Amino acid sequence: MTSSLTERPKPFLVPEYCKGCGRCIRSCVKDCFTLGAQINPETGLVPISLDLTNCNSCGLCIDACPEPYGLRLAGEGDEAAERPGHALELVAAPGGIPEPEPWPDQTVALPDRQPLFIKGTYAAALGALLAGCRHVFGYPITPSTEGAELMARVLPTLGGIFLQAVSEVATVNIMYGAGGAGKPCMTFTSSPGFSLMLEGISYMIGSEIPAVFVNVMRGGPGLGNIGPEQSDIKLACRGLGHGNTHAIVLAPASPQEMLDLTMLAFELAFKYRNPVVVLGDGYLGQMTGKVQLPKYMVVPGIPRWAVYGDRSHRGNLICSVELDPELLESHNFRLNEKYEQITSAEQRAELFWCNDADILLLACNTPSQIAKGAVKELRERGHRVGLLRPITLWPFPLDRFRGPLHRAKELVVVEASSGQLEDELRLALSHAGTPTPPRVTHVRRMGGILPSQSEIVDHVAKLEVVP
Amino acid sequence: MPSSVFYRSFDRHNRGEGVNAHSTTYCPGCGHGLVQKYLAQAIDELGTQDRTVLISPVGCSVFMYYYFDVGNSQAAHGRAPAVAIGHKTANPGSIVIAYQGDGDLASIGLAEIVSTAQLGIPITVIFVNNAIYGMTGGQMAPTTLLGQHTTTTVEGRGLFAGRPLRMAEMIAGLDGSVYVERVALYDNRRRVHAKRAIKKALGLQVNGKGFAFIEVLSECPVHLGLDPEAAEDWVRDNMVPVFPLGVKKDITDGPNYPPIPSPRFDPDETLQAIGAGTTREARFAHGFAEHLDPEDISLKLAGAGGDGAQTAAMVIARAAINEGFDSTLIPSYGPESRGGTSYADVHVAKHQVLSPAAPRPHVLVAFNAPSLARFGPTVRTGGIVLYDSTVVHAVPSALAAGAIPVPVPLTGAAKDLGTPLVKNVVALGALQAVSKLLPEESFLTALRALLRDKPAMVPVNEEAFRLGAKLALEEH
Ligand code: SF4
Ligand code: SF4
Ligand code: SF4
Repeated sequence: MTSSLTERPKPFLVPEYCKGCGRCIRSCVKDCFTLGAQINPETGLVPISLDLTNCNSCGLCIDACPEPYGLRLAGEGDEAAERPGHALELVAAPGGIPEPEPWPDQTVALPDRQPLFIKGTYAAALGALLAGCRHVFGYPITPSTEGAELMARVLPTLGGIFLQAVSEVATVNIMYGAGGAGKPCMTFTSSPGFSLMLEGISYMIGSEIPAVFVNVMRGGPGLGNIGPEQSDIKLACRGLGHGNTHAIVLAPASPQEMLDLTMLAFELAFKYRNPVVVLGDGYLGQMTGKVQLPKYMVVPGIPRWAVYGDRSHRGNLICSVELDPELLESHNFRLNEKYEQITSAEQRAELFWCNDADILLLACNTPSQIAKGAVKELRERGHRVGLLRPITLWPFPLDRFRGPLHRAKELVVVEASSGQLEDELRLALSHAGTPTPPRVTHVRRMGGILPSQSEIVDHVAKLEVVP
Repeated sequence: MPSSVFYRSFDRHNRGEGVNAHSTTYCPGCGHGLVQKYLAQAIDELGTQDRTVLISPVGCSVFMYYYFDVGNSQAAHGRAPAVAIGHKTANPGSIVIAYQGDGDLASIGLAEIVSTAQLGIPITVIFVNNAIYGMTGGQMAPTTLLGQHTTTTVEGRGLFAGRPLRMAEMIAGLDGSVYVERVALYDNRRRVHAKRAIKKALGLQVNGKGFAFIEVLSECPVHLGLDPEAAEDWVRDNMVPVFPLGVKKDITDGPNYPPIPSPRFDPDETLQAIGAGTTREARFAHGFAEHLDPEDISLKLAGAGGDGAQTAAMVIARAAINEGFDSTLIPSYGPESRGGTSYADVHVAKHQVLSPAAPRPHVLVAFNAPSLARFGPTVRTGGIVLYDSTVVHAVPSALAAGAIPVPVPLTGAAKDLGTPLVKNVVALGALQAVSKLLPEESFLTALRALLRDKPAMVPVNEEAFRLGAKLALEEH
């Protein structure tokens, strides 16, 4: 034993990296350490002094030293002490920090199938599965739960994972982990649950983690009820937690779009390294409709930036902390550039009978379907009415709406909220400096009630359009 | 020995300028540095550096990713175990470590740590308990001792602020944990123990065992207002009596945590899993029922729960979709579904259903008098009002002008067939016969598809359908 000890190297002290805490003093039975006397000007600390005369190489002092490079065995990495200056590339141990290897997504063609007749929440779940999502986390909340239940049933048959978390707060943070590892992951939630997830969404945006949130909105505020409302447009478009945050917000209007837009959501989430919100309403979640499956499915890879937990991705970091204000500001500038890029590239909308319209309706989700019914009825009565249907609520697709807006005299916002969609419109018009926007009026219902076709028709019929 | 698991240069630490490249952010004598040294050494000795994902917490050790040359993820305050679940399920081959302080783990993150430990997923949690909030400047922690002075317990922690929380014991009491030990750092012997425990906990994950939890009693000399040596003594003399050291649980000879699945992406398997049929059903219709509406026909089926309005609506919609039309179905929604009424709005459209609601239906099927009274007046001119004449004796006078009443004894007919449940199928037969919405075979094909799992029920359903048609035609 003694001989093996003496063969071991003795400790090596690098005074610059010693904080002079003195924890080594008591650890050494040979009293090799004494308090130092000279201040290190760079740190303002007083390094310990080490005299190895009596040292038996027991190594106990090294285990007592909190500093990785303060006290260590001689010979190991001594050159680190000599390392000059700095470079913003992490320097790893011998062997180096690995370069991430490409691991791209693949698409696989699907045969033509009979259309399905399924609920909107189910359709969203299928969209996620076909987008390559095998990691679903969630907390049950009506009226979104059926999507999660379907996932819980189907995922085990595909080697996937459905995990019911302890809360929505835990859910979003599990997604932070799985998304940070580079896997497509998603959750189903509804308004109160979405509120709880906002903090985590802010972290995901800051850390640039992709994930998909399907929020089947219900009546609020507070516990409200489980009826359909468009109560979270404000949160999704303007209030994704703290900080300068944005995420693409997709607003499906049919079970088919619940599938298509959820699939698209995954594509966009990974394209921009950002969460994407699919905002449905309670009615859409429950509505059963015809759903045609897509022509392909996705087999996801692992992105280069992911912290996957293998050699190839070892050098990566998922993080939203940046103490240096300048660096944090430039991170924000970069995020803002991303938002601008999204704003110019990802505006999506449907124009329904807008070519010659004097009166435009603006609506999304189920209210837009009801508005379409109203457009048809009003057209039959001879009114020149059309519908602007934003499919992305953020970015608001004003570019798509400019032509019809230029022509129209009246704009009627139809929504199941107290003006959250109208606010998005007004903000977009204001930013764009639209010179003479049409007069804006509205048909609004709340509390779990959608505007009805007859309410829209009556409202429009009363408008006096000057030809 | 600086373990190779530490970066050679801490370039994330103030850009690695000067001594920052090789020294930590911790105050002199802080226990964090020791724990992390042992952790780095364990990772090195177990050979898991490439596979390791380290979750940094919020608190003094927020910047562990400055030092550890492994995959790094930085979590929100208290959420490290949740983030760890995400990483572990995303890649079961990764070795995931959640490192947390006492405010992080035992206060704001209690729900996450308790639920994760109960889940038992194989991750390793290192819990550094120094009885105080370090980073925010010396406030009370859940583990602060009674009588201990902090900036939020200036007179010393009293009972009004609660008693110190013993996490190791709590975690040991949960079913999912396989190994729980509390260790300390105040002398050579404890440090050797601590080192061993951390390596053991990590090794258990490497072997797929289960959830392991190491609580380390640590020194925060700065906020204790003591020099590092005195802080060691303080931990020994004050913390250990409240937080006894030792193994709290060891069931590591038990079974491993079940294997975490690996995703599969076979297209056929995927389609089968989501219930996508392989073939298109035969079609029977020769065109859209334009005699009802040129483009979009709406129907309302209304009754009490148990009348089968939803199922009948489903048959209509499926039949329409099989024929290549668009269709939607909205069930009764909200509290009314509990109040006993059950109704469904169905649309069948040549191309696309616009508004899915049916405020003015072309066809109403009413299974009882209240439904007929409520929705009868909404049916459009020339529309069909089919109702159960077994239970409705007088047609309400308010029935929309021009609507065609079709009384059919639905309940009676179903009883005659010996299966009262098929009342809704009698209604479907009658509906088909008087409306010609779709051909008879379309309905029957959809009906059979719906009964795929109950083939014995097919004959009586078909009989009910035909009887309904016959009765309706007799009435006309
Ligand atoms: S190796 Fe042992 S004897 Fe030598 S200085 Fe360190 S503690 Fe003292
Ligand atoms: S324990 Fe390490 S940092 Fe502290 S005085 Fe000794 S050598 Fe210096
Ligand atoms: S404040 Fe306390 S816990 Fe934090 S680094 Fe300093 S000594 Fe360590």
